[in-house]
Amino acid sequence: MPRRREPRPAPALELKTTRLAGIQVILNSAEHAALDTHLSTLFAATPDFFGGEAAVFECGRLPADAPSPDWAWLARELKSRGLNPFAVQNASAELAAAAQQAGLLVLNDVAPTPAAAAAEPEPVPEPEAVPAPEPAPSATAPTRIIDKPLRSGQRVYAAGGDIVVLAAVNPGAEVIADGSIHVYAPLKGRALAGARGDTSARIFTTHLEAELVSIAGVYRTFDAAPDAAVARKPAQIRLADASQIVIEPL
Amino acid sequence: MTTIITVTSGKGGVGKTTTSASIASGLALRGFKTAVIDFDVGLRNLDLIMGCERRVVYDFVNVIQGDANLHQALIKDKHCDNLFVLPASQTRDKDALTEEGVEKVLKELEHQGFDYVICDSPAGIEHGAVMALTFADQAIVVTNPEVSSVRDSDRILGIIQSKSRRAIEGREPVKEHLLVTRYSPKRAHEGEMLTYTDIQELLRIPLLGVIPESEAVLQASNQGIPAIHQKDTPVADAYQDAIGRFLGEQHPLRFVEYEKPGLIKRLFGGK
Repeated sequence: MPRRREPRPAPALELKTTRLAGIQVILNSAEHAALDTHLSTLFAATPDFFGGEAAVFECGRLPADAPSPDWAWLARELKSRGLNPFAVQNASAELAAAAQQAGLLVLNDVAPTPAAAAAEPEPVPEPEAVPAPEPAPSATAPTRIIDKPLRSGQRVYAAGGDIVVLAAVNPGAEVIADGSIHVYAPLKGRALAGARGDTSARIFTTHLEAELVSIAGVYRTFDAAPDAAVARKPAQIRLADASQIVIEPL
Repeated sequence: MTTIITVTSGKGGVGKTTTSASIASGLALRGFKTAVIDFDVGLRNLDLIMGCERRVVYDFVNVIQGDANLHQALIKDKHCDNLFVLPASQTRDKDALTEEGVEKVLKELEHQGFDYVICDSPAGIEHGAVMALTFADQAIVVTNPEVSSVRDSDRILGIIQSKSRRAIEGREPVKEHLLVTRYSPKRAHEGEMLTYTDIQELLRIPLLGVIPESEAVLQASNQGIPAIHQKDTPVADAYQDAIGRFLGEQHPLRFVEYEKPGLIKRLFGGK
């Protein structure tokens, strides 16, 4: 690299922030027997699934009155299965103290991540799955892009994210997204944004002629044409007060 | 190399069979060895339009089920030596069409050196219509200038894009053509009908032609002569233009502009 040839050598030590990609070990129980049984079954088929990844114990889901797990034992068990636990997060003061005793770091004020908030178990190695590095968890699903006309009877659904449609949504077609919907062409069919209840989702189009629009389950049909200000014109559709569809010119 | 053309519409009564007969005849008149297959099992009409209903012995389903060979079932057209009709069965239903059976017949037609095979689709989006478009290389979507027909055409285009072999196997997609039929320039001009530009704007596929509404079509059907043989009628000329465009020729659109009655009266004697 050209930088290396600069006269001043790089300092011996530099400090920069980093985001660590690692594995969350979400504890739903602190009971020794339950943890032991589950660890055994989880890794029975694929003992070599992990290859030394860093791991953090997520304690946010433990009941408030749960006793402290045997941290030292738990860390040993995971280490023997290829994980390197080094910290606990979202732990109560009592759990944190015990963890520190066992040589673990305590991460404070970590917002529960989406994975921890959702009622999903930790990544389970599929039996016979090909060992693969865990993909870095992304905050939202990638945006879905549609570049062909959506025809009567066709339906597309963007799970977990937004959808961008670059061609016409014809009458009788349906666009559904958990996030927002962007249609850069005539929107003549149905558009349902915030399909899983996200009231902040919106619908945007360059030509509003929809049969029905819905945001987080609140819908409006257009039996009568919409206002002249927005009919067949660029428009934004959003939810006000969580129950009122608002259509505004763009 | 055989090109398979499916003539389809979704909606019934828009002119699929009339179009299949005229396109097939027009291609044959230009020297291509052509077969036209009636996929409307149970409601067969193509043989009537082609004027060969009294010569049907074996049909498409007989060939699929192995009761007859293709040679026995193909009926040679009265007007063109290189045009053959494969009629539908009137006594079965559409479930008699199996994908393997249809594929076998199409393969055999290719083997016999046919240049074009026209598949005349039944109305609807059920099994028979899907079988007619499964093996298409090109599709002619027949649409009338009314909203229900346009919507059904839109639906069938979506089905072509998802259920055709080309789509399923990820090959080059089926080439789609829009053919507007039963078009009345006067009524479109007066706002009673959609204009062909309205239709094209919604369906967004290339326009192959506009066939004017005409009494000549009904006369032709009743006589069992494809409309394209009605010399010097606007319908025949419009079909000839459409076939020319299909083969890559350039023709300006005719019969789409509304002209003052005085001129029409002088030209066509008061229609």
